[in-house]
Amino acid sequence: MTIVALCVVATILFAQAVVRLRRRGRPDLADWSRIAFFAAGIALMPVALIVLDEQADSNLAVHMTQHVLIGDLAAALLVLSVRGPLALFVLPAPVLRPLARTPLRKLVRPKVAYALWAANLGIWHVPWLYDVALRHQWVHYTEHALWTTFGLLAWTILLDDRRTVGQRVALAAAMFASGQVLTDVLVFTFHPLYPAYPSVRQQQLAGVVMMAEQVVTLGALTFALLRPRLRPFRAVAA
Amino acid sequence: MSVTSFTFEWFFLGAAVVAAAGYVWFARNDRPEPWRIALFAVGLILIAGALNSPLETIAVKRLLLIHLLQNALIADIAPLLLLLGLTPTMRASLPRVRARYALPAWLIAWYGTHATNFYDWALRDSWPLNIEHAILICAGLLFWWPLVSGRLSPPAALAYLGAAFVGSSFLGLAFIFSTRPIYSYYEHTPRLWGLSPARDQNLGGILMNGEQTLVFLLAIGFYVWRLLNEEHAAGASTQS
Repeated sequence: MTIVALCVVATILFAQAVVRLRRRGRPDLADWSRIAFFAAGIALMPVALIVLDEQADSNLAVHMTQHVLIGDLAAALLVLSVRGPLALFVLPAPVLRPLARTPLRKLVRPKVAYALWAANLGIWHVPWLYDVALRHQWVHYTEHALWTTFGLLAWTILLDDRRTVGQRVALAAAMFASGQVLTDVLVFTFHPLYPAYPSVRQQQLAGVVMMAEQVVTLGALTFALLRPRLRPFRAVAA
Repeated sequence: MSVTSFTFEWFFLGAAVVAAAGYVWFARNDRPEPWRIALFAVGLILIAGALNSPLETIAVKRLLLIHLLQNALIADIAPLLLLLGLTPTMRASLPRVRARYALPAWLIAWYGTHATNFYDWALRDSWPLNIEHAILICAGLLFWWPLVSGRLSPPAALAYLGAAFVGSSFLGLAFIFSTRPIYSYYEHTPRLWGLSPARDQNLGGILMNGEQTLVFLLAIGFYVWRLLNEEHAAGASTQS
């Protein structure tokens, strides 16, 4: 219920931002592609947290799918939908103005965002904490909220056109390398790491899910960023 | 045969000697820095040592795990070290290889040499095994050459490495996830260290994936660093 309510609130905020920006004569900054990205991103949240939830309790690979959907794919789509001026219209001005003055703005720095994202990734996969999260619903909610928050934070930087291609590719590479460490731990271990999930095969699959999802999301981003720079090279090579 | 016995692939011992002699001959006029000599020497030792030592005995007579270790050494690490050991003049004398051809060729060689029929055939006779190893070494040299020759810009190198990393990872994953031995040859070899054929194969996949992850992420990290340096230099020149 909480998830549905949050999604409804987010949709209302996004819809009013689109309407406001269009009324100001800038439909190009709130076009249909933005709406499609937002719809896909917000739809993934209930899919991950409601549809997959029951299976996630008994299958680590499904639980990992939940995490990568809310922390990476949905986060990427949501940031893609609101990036640029539209983001300033999502929150009402009385909320946005004081927020911009708080130290929270320092979070949108690559090193800080990466450190938080990687720490979140590492900490929640410590078997003891993973087990606690499974036994206490509020800890589990906190875990999922942090996945989403730090995912949104990282993707805010990855999709920020004001940053150089190198900075964004470096962040993507660092995130992929960190993900690979976790992937390797899960795939290369022949005994169950989490008491609630006794299947080693599902544990290994969970690692592959993490790797495959990162290859798709971070790989697509990196390719999109590097593609314009590959053209001159191709011309020279030809 | 004891697992500590030496088994030889004489062709590669001879090839290593010829390569070392060629390097010395070229180095008369174009003196390499000590670190280049060291890298070239380590590359040769990895090839000659991996294929002419107890590793070869265990690889051919006992465990797939050790055979995959050999393959990783001769296909991924040694070729890179050999090419890094060449001086710029030596590199200039080598033919140009386009990345668009090198990558598919490397992937075909990687998967082709590990195809079940070929692998089993290579293990049952000694000369096909030489062919397998020669293909892997040549494919490794071919793969790393576009990068080491410096003809790829950092963005192109990153795309090349990313595609290679993803493209090659499926083989290791297949070894990790397969519950049955893929190669019938290793079902009938005497076991070592208590490893069943399936577990031997799983560990081989882990070794292969772990090694490739390490090598590729280091290479990707290097080119990300170069990309950042280029942007920094471009930014500095724009400001001045």
